[in-house]
Amino acid sequence: MSLDDVLILNAVSKAYGGRASMIEKAFGRRPKGLQAVREVSFTIRKGEVMGLVGESGCGKSTIARMAAGLLAPTGGEIGRNAAMREQMIFQDPFSSLNPRWRVRDIVAEPIRTHRLRPKKAIDERVAELLRQVGLSPEDGAKFPQAFSGGQRQRISIARALAGEPDFLILDEPTSALDVSVQAQILDLLRGFQAELHLTSLFITHNLPVVRLMADRIGVVYLGELVELAPTETIFHRPRHPYTRLLIDAAPDLDATDRSLHPIPGDLPDPSDPPSGCVFRTRCPFANERCAAERPELRTVETGQVRCHYDLDLSQRAAA
Amino acid sequence: MSEPVLKVRDLSVVLERNGRDFPVLDGVTFDIAPGEVLGLVGESGAGKSMTGIAIIDLLVPPLRRTSGTIALSGERLDQLSAKRMRRVRGKRIGFVFQDPMTSLNPVLSIGRQLTDTMRRHLPLTRGEARERAIAWLTRVGLANPPRVFAAAPHELSGGQRQRIVIALALCAEPDLLIADEPTTALDVSVQAHMLTLLRELHEETGTAMMLITHDLGVIAKMADRVAVFYAGRVIETAPTGRLIGAPLHPYTAGLMQATPAPDADGAMRVRAIPGAMPGIGALPPGCAFHPRCERAQAICREERPPLADAGGHDAACYFPLVEEVVS
Repeated sequence: MSLDDVLILNAVSKAYGGRASMIEKAFGRRPKGLQAVREVSFTIRKGEVMGLVGESGCGKSTIARMAAGLLAPTGGEIGRNAAMREQMIFQDPFSSLNPRWRVRDIVAEPIRTHRLRPKKAIDERVAELLRQVGLSPEDGAKFPQAFSGGQRQRISIARALAGEPDFLILDEPTSALDVSVQAQILDLLRGFQAELHLTSLFITHNLPVVRLMADRIGVVYLGELVELAPTETIFHRPRHPYTRLLIDAAPDLDATDRSLHPIPGDLPDPSDPPSGCVFRTRCPFANERCAAERPELRTVETGQVRCHYDLDLSQRAAA
Repeated sequence: MSEPVLKVRDLSVVLERNGRDFPVLDGVTFDIAPGEVLGLVGESGAGKSMTGIAIIDLLVPPLRRTSGTIALSGERLDQLSAKRMRRVRGKRIGFVFQDPMTSLNPVLSIGRQLTDTMRRHLPLTRGEARERAIAWLTRVGLANPPRVFAAAPHELSGGQRQRIVIALALCAEPDLLIADEPTTALDVSVQAHMLTLLRELHEETGTAMMLITHDLGVIAKMADRVAVFYAGRVIETAPTGRLIGAPLHPYTAGLMQATPAPDADGAMRVRAIPGAMPGIGALPPGCAFHPRCERAQAICREERPPLADAGGHDAACYFPLVEEVVS
């Protein structure tokens, strides 16, 4: 692990179930496990924002929770700097703040836990943090219920910053918010990013948001990292067919081109993934090799891709 | 011009709290032409869903309609008895909500729900209804329709359920479909499927549609015309291309700039609107947007701008942005 690496995931997997129940044992059945994450590898370097994008159930939040140390992987290893302080911001600002605590105690908690400030300096620090996230120090006396979703997310950010993190994990931090509130929170986060040089892992299903926030993007499908590349490369020269189709599927603001681009087929049952390449059942380029052989995560000049082929996907697929 | 399918005039709804009435919808006015898709866009609490609920007369206390006329193909819905209104819902107005379970009965099979709905509103025998139900399940793109017919809602995925809700909403051949955030709870790949389906069915049946969404991307792809809601009022209405290409109201422009998107040279930009939409009971005097508006002047703080009737692209603003002439 070099000094510049904040977090290294090496072939990290997470499986659920898989232990035979009494009934399965009695009938000699094999248990039906679920491989939520399969052999995911990436490194986050100091000062960068790494984005993870994918649809619900793809495993991106499981990866986030393993990166945060909240979940133990069932395979592979996670390397982290032992002295590193991590903080996490969650999607739902309604369930991630304790409703029985006043805002000032919520924000002060990481300061107290990590003993970051002398006792008598805590109040002043909390007031400063509340101002930094666009709230007033007087808001500290209120309970979370008094605030809107956007304001609660500001409280979550103040709490995360209170822990003076080296590494921030954000799991869909703006997905529950209206677009104008989302823009305010993204502005706020970008400001802190620039000012504090925070290293972060930003997880979202929203491609424009991750494009705005991340330096590099990993694309996750059915528990696998299928592509990893610098942000603008992902959008201008995607290498994996899923990345291309995901970019095309989100309706943009162009009212002159009203074409819609759904991804063909349905998401396979995650407990019974396809053989070979996990995306082959929906991939317009799939052939026998894709069913027979699981592609390796290959290093290409733009990044890494888990596909057998070098496809030119720089143009949107025909409608 | 043919008569609008839906004609809403001066619709106002209040919320009663401690004996006082607070406006929730205020003077909402719009038409939907036959075969047209009207998009209602705005943020949570702006009144777009409330408009849908008021049209189908499902307001419950403390919410109450205080004024307004609602005409469906010329018939005044606001004057109908509760009993006759029940026959309008489901028959002449179909609806699709964000959460498909709102529209589905969890203990009845999908087939039973479809055939019940059709037989309540259309003169069909049991056998005919069954046949049509299977045809609808095929039409909304569900694999193995006989299996889905026999299934209970919980046995299906979210995307499959939303397809069934669309079939339920359209199977009684309504004049108007109200779709309230029909794709918001869905993933982007499923969302594009659902929008494609809605578009195909709209083209086949010619049913006029009121599409409520907070997503300007969905508006751009689906709506013929748009009404923008802010703090309980329609603040701008225009054909979709003109609204997105050259918005007149500073709030509409702000909403567009707040949506992260690449600009002409490919750099990502996002621009937040300062402040927040006022809540119920906290409306400022004058224009409800003025505390957040860069263009606001004295008159905006004192007098509420009416929705000017400028022939198709109208804005409730004293100092609208200049619409660029597209040659």
